[in-house]
Amino acid sequence: MDTKAKVKEVLSSLLKVKVEELKDDMSLQESIGVDSTEMVESVIALEKAFGVKLNVKEITKNSSINDIANNIQSKSAK
Amino acid sequence: MNEKEKMRVEKKAITGIGVVSPSGIGKRQFWANIKSGRSFIKKITRFDSSKYPSHIAGQIDDLEKYSHISERLLKKIDAFSHMALVASELALQDAGIDIKNEDPNLVGIFLGNAIGGWLYAETELRDLYLEGRQGVSPYMASAWFPAAPQGQVSIYYGIKGFSKTVIADRAGSLMALGYARKVLSKNKLNMILAGGMEAPVSPYALLCCNTYGSLSTNNDNPEIAYRPFDRQRSGFVIGEGAGIVVMEGIERARKRGANIWGYISGYGTSCDGVDRINPASDGKELARAIKMALDEARLGPGDIDYISLDGAAVEIWDNSEIRALEAVFGDKLKNIPASCPKSMFGNLLGASGALDMIVALMSMEHGLIPPTLNLEAPVVKGLNYVVDQAKEYKVNRALIISRGRGGINSALVIEK
Repeated sequence: MDTKAKVKEVLSSLLKVKVEELKDDMSLQESIGVDSTEMVESVIALEKAFGVKLNVKEITKNSSINDIANNIQSKSAK
Repeated sequence: MNEKEKMRVEKKAITGIGVVSPSGIGKRQFWANIKSGRSFIKKITRFDSSKYPSHIAGQIDDLEKYSHISERLLKKIDAFSHMALVASELALQDAGIDIKNEDPNLVGIFLGNAIGGWLYAETELRDLYLEGRQGVSPYMASAWFPAAPQGQVSIYYGIKGFSKTVIADRAGSLMALGYARKVLSKNKLNMILAGGMEAPVSPYALLCCNTYGSLSTNNDNPEIAYRPFDRQRSGFVIGEGAGIVVMEGIERARKRGANIWGYISGYGTSCDGVDRINPASDGKELARAIKMALDEARLGPGDIDYISLDGAAVEIWDNSEIRALEAVFGDKLKNIPASCPKSMFGNLLGASGALDMIVALMSMEHGLIPPTLNLEAPVVKGLNYVVDQAKEYKVNRALIISRGRGGINSALVIEK
């Protein structure tokens, strides 16, 4: 499974939203209206799923699925 | 109109009721069970509670069936907020109000609670000790505290007017109703959702309730365990649920053609101030609160047709309650039907007063007074106890009494 698909799977299961609602190029705030606490929760879940350390502020600032997947890939590559 | 008249708290209309209780969810199911005088006190099945001194309660097992709340929201909230959300929706539906059409700045919410959302809290605290900080849900901070349901209902409906959560042990929700009416009387709001919610059937909350020492331990006979005012009484039994009503001004309610269940016309409150747990044995302060409520309603002792009793089923509480009633009503007391319907579904603590008011409103509507269960041999005679079966009786004005630990007294008068 590629990173993007896995990010969607993690977030869909965590936030109880359909995978289709998570748009590749829209921020999570725009697509599903996440609040700040959901963002914290999402970062914790993604860290667990991918085994990387993420920055909540960074993810909040750039929170489309594409942005998140790129962020994770850049951390994994290090 | 003189200054005193201007200061007078007005009568306010109740136009919608929402019930989530062990005796049923929604007004029809609830009333059908209440009027049949059926007990809903059972052994706790949600978790292994067999080692607790008292392990019986009024429980709600089918809330999901009636719930309109998304899974996404449910994982962020405790059961007591869930119950408040369902009760609020039922109340609004009953009132025929689509809140989207209301000015959000003119809608308020006043809720009572005693213990907070412990199912969520204790689960997360367990995870804190097992998994460390990372194991704790970020929603913990906003899920457990007593004002959480007020917040969740406000967010759900976009309520932006003056709002409050009242914490006053078992008297919380009756107090919330009293204060809601007072605020509505200032004419700065159009409507208020008011009542209370409680979810004490969780391992830690049940432990705290047990430590309090006033719960019945007749676990082998749950249905006859809660016996207010009876010689064999052994304490009360807890219950969970929510009771929330829509309160609005009379003119507004009439103008929109609403069904008016009844009016809140008087409220009084006082404190005993004698003990950390117990009330004063003389009932004087409770009597003062009842008199305040009657005075505010401009009624005398002879005008009340039904008394909804607090009925903690503990000697000092029951006896002081009767002393207060004797002091206020004198000879008239023997003629006024009185009952403690919570003996059927449990004491909903911070939500108990709201449920009692809802039961009294339904009694007025149907001309039927619900019974006290298990009251076979009253310790104090001289009251017109309604026992075992509902009694046909025309009720136009009712008094509701609700009391909390340490001697918090509240009394509310409602009228048809």
